[in-house]
Amino acid sequence: MGSFWRRQPSKVPGRILITDRDFAADQDDHDFALGGYPGVLVTSPTSFWSAYDSDAKAASYRRPAQQVPVGVDKARQKLPNSVTKFLDETSQAWEGDNDHDSGLSKSITPTGGRYSSHSQPHSPTRLNVANGTSSSSSPNHSPSSKQSRKSGEGSQIDLRVLGDPRLEKQNIAEMLHLNTNLARTTRFETCLKEGNVDLVRLRKLSWNGIPEQFRAMTWQLLMGYLPTNADRRAQTLARKRKEYADCVAQTFAQGVAGLESTLWHQIQIDVPRTFPMSPLFQDPVIQQSIARILYCWADRHPASGYVQGINDLVTPFYLVFLSSHISDDPEHSTSAVIPDDVLSEIEADSFWCLSKLLDGIQDNYIHAQPGIFRQVGKLKELIARINQRLASHLEAQGVEFIQFAFRWINCLLMREVSLKNIVRMWDTYLSEGSSGFSEFHV
Amino acid sequence: MASYAYLFKYIIIGDTGVGKSCLLLQFTDNRFQPAHDLTIGVEFGARIVNVGNKRIKLQIWDTAGQESFRSITRSYYRGAAGALLVYDITRRETFDHLATWLEDARKYSNANITIMLIGNKCDLENKRAVSREEGEAFARENGLFFIETSAKTAANVEEAFVNTAADIHDKIQVGVLDVTNESSGIKLGPTQAGMASLSSGSVDSRRGCC
Repeated sequence: MGSFWRRQPSKVPGRILITDRDFAADQDDHDFALGGYPGVLVTSPTSFWSAYDSDAKAASYRRPAQQVPVGVDKARQKLPNSVTKFLDETSQAWEGDNDHDSGLSKSITPTGGRYSSHSQPHSPTRLNVANGTSSSSSPNHSPSSKQSRKSGEGSQIDLRVLGDPRLEKQNIAEMLHLNTNLARTTRFETCLKEGNVDLVRLRKLSWNGIPEQFRAMTWQLLMGYLPTNADRRAQTLARKRKEYADCVAQTFAQGVAGLESTLWHQIQIDVPRTFPMSPLFQDPVIQQSIARILYCWADRHPASGYVQGINDLVTPFYLVFLSSHISDDPEHSTSAVIPDDVLSEIEADSFWCLSKLLDGIQDNYIHAQPGIFRQVGKLKELIARINQRLASHLEAQGVEFIQFAFRWINCLLMREVSLKNIVRMWDTYLSEGSSGFSEFHV
Repeated sequence: MASYAYLFKYIIIGDTGVGKSCLLLQFTDNRFQPAHDLTIGVEFGARIVNVGNKRIKLQIWDTAGQESFRSITRSYYRGAAGALLVYDITRRETFDHLATWLEDARKYSNANITIMLIGNKCDLENKRAVSREEGEAFARENGLFFIETSAKTAANVEEAFVNTAADIHDKIQVGVLDVTNESSGIKLGPTQAGMASLSSGSVDSRRGCC
């Protein structure tokens, strides 16, 4: 995020607060997240970070020696005002996806991403928001396609809570929250309905999070895959999808026999190891679909070829594009509920968006991976600047940044953060333009 | 804190998909997980084993096997006392690549490193593509230890790690490895370090009492 912090000199990155409640709730996970360094302050009671913490790697054998963090309170007192201000300003940005009633959130939250988590994310007491039913297959890229279900229509206040002052207070907070969401929804709707979408405005809106029902379309616009001009969309999509279909047909014309065997074998053993806890990504039809995407991409990019980690990067696109077609929880869906032609469209769209994403981070995957080393170097420099104590400690212990941060760059934090939160982070990354995944990430 | 006499650093290397992470998981957690994340960069594991009457902590660096990561994997060899070089007995090409792996290990690690060649997936006898004799011959020609294992059934997994530790321990005993030199991949554990400060004696003077 280097460039962002340079543009915002008053704001200090890397400081997140941890509430006492969070500490008590599941110290093990927080210990892992904090690494026992009191100098790294993490904390924010929003569900974003709760979900993040619960997502800390569960495999105990990979966990570093646990230490009880000390001095957190003291450190928090020292927190600069600018940071508090920054957190206040940006906290709303993480709330866009707090809608636990939404299919996407529901699908990912209980599993805490790919790893089985010890603690469930904190789920606030909320109003009984009735879920409207929605049609299963919606026309592509219509801003209003899933809106009836999402925009708050049919919200009901549970009358049982009235009269209890504590619950009423929560109700008011909930209502304010709903109002905010409604306003955001309206802003997105207006922006996306324009005959020629204003990308500058869309970027600005999206930076703080994209409402789920607009996400697939917005991502495709921000990536430059979907034309801003509404009249050109259907034609462009049809052309790109056909181009991909032709590429697949040509590549797989002779079946597996015509493929480069080492590359195909590598992809075949990696696809089952991509989100192994997710029913969706364990579905054989979906796995073959992802394998085709990866193979076609690698085939077209011989300079880097397929590098492990790219398999992770295709999953957010797949999930988001899929979620715009089904009303159920996408991560727990199977290919059986998705018509073949829709699946083909999702595959083609995911391929092109993955290609656009990788175009911006080619350096990460070519020989010797210079892009990753550059970003790890920047991270090291950043830590030395904002947390000298941590930097010195790591140095004294002989811990190299490349040893722990390599994966953070190679997989864009997809192994560290739940898929739900990755999707949210990508809203912002994509809003940053072409350098989102290279310059903004670190 | 669990006390131990020494800490040995290990690295696990070999082609992608041969079962490096599964071997580590079986060794540290006594379980087999067929569907797991593929390794990016390096992952870590640790366990204490007994060699003779000494407790030894193994700090294991589990590396990514894909060719693309070779430049970063090389940086992990430094300061390793033991290397587990793994191939898959059901995939001939993973055996054919051993020479390249060995070349890297010799080039980037210290000269006295103990290398254990492991033919993994020996539970899949009906899919075997590399005979036991071939594995033994390669090990003999290159001065490596050899064992066939199954991370799935846990067969020989313990032995693979512990036998390597026994050899490193022997090298310490005969003075081939210098425990005070960090590049050897060995560190004194908290017990020994404590004893050293109490008696201010050398490693040799302590050896007599154990």
